[in-house]
Amino acid sequence: MEEKNKSIGKAITRIDGLLKVTGKATYATDYPAKNMAYAVLFKSTIASGQITAIDSAAAEKSPGVLKVITHKNTPKLNIKGGLRGGALLQGSEIHFYGQHIGIVVAETFEQATHAARLVQVSYEEKAGKIDFDELAKDAVKPKGQELADQIRGDAKKALGEAAVKVEETYETPIEHHHPMEPHSTIAVWEGENVILYNGSQIINGAQSSAAATLNLKPENVRIVSPYIGGGFGSKGGQWANLVLTAVAAKVTGRPVKLALTRQQMFNSVGLRQRNIQKVSLGATKEGKLISISHETTTHSAIDSEYIEPCGDCTKIMYDAPNSLISYRVVPMNVILPTYTRGPGKSTGSFALESAMDELAHKLGIDPIELRIKNEPEKDPSNGKPWSSRKTVQCLQEGAKAFGWEKRNAIPGQTKAGNYLIGYGVACGTYPARQRDSSAIIKLKRSGSQVTATIELAASDLGTGTNTILAQVAADGLDLPIGNITVNIGDSDLPPAAGSVGSVGAASFANAVNDACIKITNELIAKSDKQFFVRPTARQMMISEQTLDFQTRADAKAPSNTDQYSTHSFNANFAEVKVNIATGMVKVTRFLAATGAGKILNPKTARSQIIGGNIWGIGMALSEESIIDPRYGNFATRSFGDYHVPSNLDVGKLDAMFINEEDFIPNKLGIKGIGEVGIVGVAAAIANAVFNATGKRIRSLPITPDKLL
Amino acid sequence: MNDFNYTRVYSMDEALANVSLGKGHRVIAGGTNLIDLMKYFITTADELVDINPISEHQTIEELPDGRLRLGAFATNADTAYHPLVESRYPLLNRAILAGASAQIRNMATNGGNLLQRTRCYYFYDINTPCNKREPGTGCSAINGYNRTMAIMGTSEHCIAVFPSDMCVALAALDAVVNIVGPEGTRQLPFADFHRLPGNTPHIDNNLMDNELISSIDLPEKGFSSSYSYLKLRDRNSYAFALVSVATALDLEHGLIKEARIALGGLAHKPWRVQEAEDFLKGKQASKTNFEAAADLILQGAKSFEFNAFKIELAKRAIVRNCMMALDPDTQQPGAQPSL
Ligand SMILES: Cc1cc2nc3c(=O)[nH]c(=O)nc-3n(C[C@H](O)[C@H](O)[C@H](O)COP(=O)(O)OP(=O)(O)OC[C@H]3O[C@@H](n4cnc5c(N)ncnc54)[C@H](O)[C@@H]3O)c2cc1C
Ligand code: SF4
Repeated sequence: MEEKNKSIGKAITRIDGLLKVTGKATYATDYPAKNMAYAVLFKSTIASGQITAIDSAAAEKSPGVLKVITHKNTPKLNIKGGLRGGALLQGSEIHFYGQHIGIVVAETFEQATHAARLVQVSYEEKAGKIDFDELAKDAVKPKGQELADQIRGDAKKALGEAAVKVEETYETPIEHHHPMEPHSTIAVWEGENVILYNGSQIINGAQSSAAATLNLKPENVRIVSPYIGGGFGSKGGQWANLVLTAVAAKVTGRPVKLALTRQQMFNSVGLRQRNIQKVSLGATKEGKLISISHETTTHSAIDSEYIEPCGDCTKIMYDAPNSLISYRVVPMNVILPTYTRGPGKSTGSFALESAMDELAHKLGIDPIELRIKNEPEKDPSNGKPWSSRKTVQCLQEGAKAFGWEKRNAIPGQTKAGNYLIGYGVACGTYPARQRDSSAIIKLKRSGSQVTATIELAASDLGTGTNTILAQVAADGLDLPIGNITVNIGDSDLPPAAGSVGSVGAASFANAVNDACIKITNELIAKSDKQFFVRPTARQMMISEQTLDFQTRADAKAPSNTDQYSTHSFNANFAEVKVNIATGMVKVTRFLAATGAGKILNPKTARSQIIGGNIWGIGMALSEESIIDPRYGNFATRSFGDYHVPSNLDVGKLDAMFINEEDFIPNKLGIKGIGEVGIVGVAAAIANAVFNATGKRIRSLPITPDKLL
Repeated sequence: MNDFNYTRVYSMDEALANVSLGKGHRVIAGGTNLIDLMKYFITTADELVDINPISEHQTIEELPDGRLRLGAFATNADTAYHPLVESRYPLLNRAILAGASAQIRNMATNGGNLLQRTRCYYFYDINTPCNKREPGTGCSAINGYNRTMAIMGTSEHCIAVFPSDMCVALAALDAVVNIVGPEGTRQLPFADFHRLPGNTPHIDNNLMDNELISSIDLPEKGFSSSYSYLKLRDRNSYAFALVSVATALDLEHGLIKEARIALGGLAHKPWRVQEAEDFLKGKQASKTNFEAAADLILQGAKSFEFNAFKIELAKRAIVRNCMMALDPDTQQPGAQPSL
């Protein structure tokens, strides 16, 4: 096929865009079910202790109420089934404020909401561990082996000997994912089988964890999730609400719908934890790093551990013979933290890349030059060669496009009216990985029209998975993209990886591509003709007069990946203006230059990158969830108080992709772009604020009060 | 929210008769505040009395003596974009557009704006003590997360802030609130409409339960040559003020004939200090004089654990906004924050 007819690489508009903007795309709560009942959760109002009594008599008598479910009457569930965060109504113990303690199921949502208010709960309260500022000093080594101290050489000694040092502590607050679609489920039982309509980043993971928790076999549970209204990690692992909906449906014998409210989202589906990160850099006078350490202190839940790996970027970004990465954690009576866009990398890069900026300033070296000076030839953490690494190109080409040469290296010098203007740069990285996935292709012919249906249990967070899979199939089968139907988001389809950790595009596309090759091979083999030029699937369907044909491919991750270090890299450039009088910051321009392998669709890829950038702007300037340590609840509990960026907060955004061919992580050259877009963003902005004002803000978010 | 009845009323008399039946009868206008409060069980109502069908008080009208009457049931958006408001009272236009979002301003009414309740985190969390929500239970904010709370006019019972932007401009413009009640009509100067918390923080203002706001009058003088509204907040749109300032100046030969400076985000009501405005009278419109005025305004400020920054921020905001008032080019169109 001629290059010009290729679909891959083209800026194709989302194939499901029209369905979405016309409200026809079916999200979890959009499925009709006959005789639906509505469930509403009620939650603990203490952070630590025990429920001593629950009086649900009034709620049960309230109009329309079918059932009040608490730990006293919930069927036995397997708490080790793989759901995150506990709160499965299996006991009276309270581990965090807002833990689910019961469900009211009623004929209508309003009746359930009303009745949930009538339930009287008594507690025996214990002093909780809530105040991180107090508790951080008690943090200990994590249980997880992957977070054990990672030591190369002697970072302390080298730091002592370094001509120039930066030793600073950086803080990032609790953040929440807050996808537009709150976590919601409809559960419908058919005998021993249950269908769960539920936004799920990992379809098969949701299936297996729900099944295990319900003490069922995976084949008894079907997850339906063709569209997801965002997740950012919070719909990766599933939470109690998924299975509690199934329980409510079982005990009432009715299909049940349960949607979390926005306020319930603050303590139901995880969060990005607070981190205190100490970064120490030691360098020669010339700016060669000789020591890097990154020591993170954070918190996790009382009964389980999740720590975002803040030192991950630091492990691989720069060449230094001596390095120390460590984690310390304190269990707290706060909901379990979880994967949150760019887990560890977005927050970790804020610390590392701020420190690099501080070092550059101390050395009097341009921050881009400092980074290039310390560019490692191999992965410093394990000595493996890079499959590809385009940091230097990202920095150089990005700098050119951004106009970096206009930056004044002396901070606080560039004024425009009542504003100080500053430029900042910061790098980022995220692993490029691929997981096993399977796919079925079904071809149909009518006359000379060939159409294809692609089926796999992939997921689309809203990122454009459907579209890129249609593009891969269009090229692989020699069909126009309009002839491809993509069916995903159903656990009845062949198993696939998830839209998590930037593995989605690579894993799903690889399975579809393998299936295209396989179906073409099979069509050729089936025919008794000989071909000099390999025909396409479309040509074979037509020439062999085949009406229907299908195949399934089970694609494996490439086997040689282990010998390489495989990552996407970026360089972020921010221009800010800071009001001299009031400290208000606006990001006026932002450019992310990204080297992320093959870009399947520049349009959806750009959306991914600028989406990450926008969250990065929120992380840098406004997003913060505050816990009141006296109660354990969040003081900030609505979109009025949790400040995601508004249009007026976002200036001009530009995404630029560095040409990169790398077939090691993935046969199609895909590296993944879901997470890397947020990595380095907050640091670039904080560095720009420093360049503008001369003030180094080491604690996010950079609200006006910090710049006074 | 609790179960409630819903009644549409078609005249002020009908509305008054309804609200005089007791506390459970509440007026609903745009509903942008009331519905939220009901959803969170902060407010309950037995009967929602929908005043929107009433044909009176829906418009903005110039009175024969030159005053402008803003109907209580007119929306914030219609008010902001009314030609007479845009030309004669641009300060009010700026303040309204600095608030909320376009969607909310399209629903929100002028009467409702005056009566919106505080955004104190704890007022919204029914599981915490709050004297405003439940008198006598205590104030969670005084020793809690009080970054957004008041620094002026607080009491030991409540340190909440009145969140309106529109009202800051109305205070600066010396508006008058027209009230109707069972005994007829009365007027309250804007400064006397809202209250300080004192030991009755549950009472936000001096409107009685059986009264309604019918309109708000603006004196003819609109300060359209030298004015500015500045709102400082944690994001550039759709966030309540940390500090906001409305400045209106009457200048003659570079000297200040009259100055009005009202502050939002700092107190339980829009905050004006006569002494500071008197100080500026006859003085040069200079940064030094504005700084001195700012010091006079803020001299009694009292901060709490997390909001000490507000004193410095307010000072800078006052000075900056007074300087901006000298140069109307600093005012940007639409909801864009001023420069
Ligand atoms: C997310 C969000 C952000 C916001 N941001 C801002 C902001 O930045 N700045 C700002 O200034 N405001 C802001 N607001 C508040 C908004 O301006 C108010 O909610 C609105 O003005 C209230 O008007 P309404 O007509 O909707 O009142 P309603 O909610 O209908 O009523 C509010 C109260 O007033 C009573 N009432 C209404 N009209 C009358 C009358 N004529 N006589 C007697 N009683 C009456 C009602 O009984 C009720 O108690 C925000 C609101 C929201 C929801
Ligand atoms: S400041 Fe006022 S509104 Fe806030 S908790 Fe205290 S009493 Fe309640």
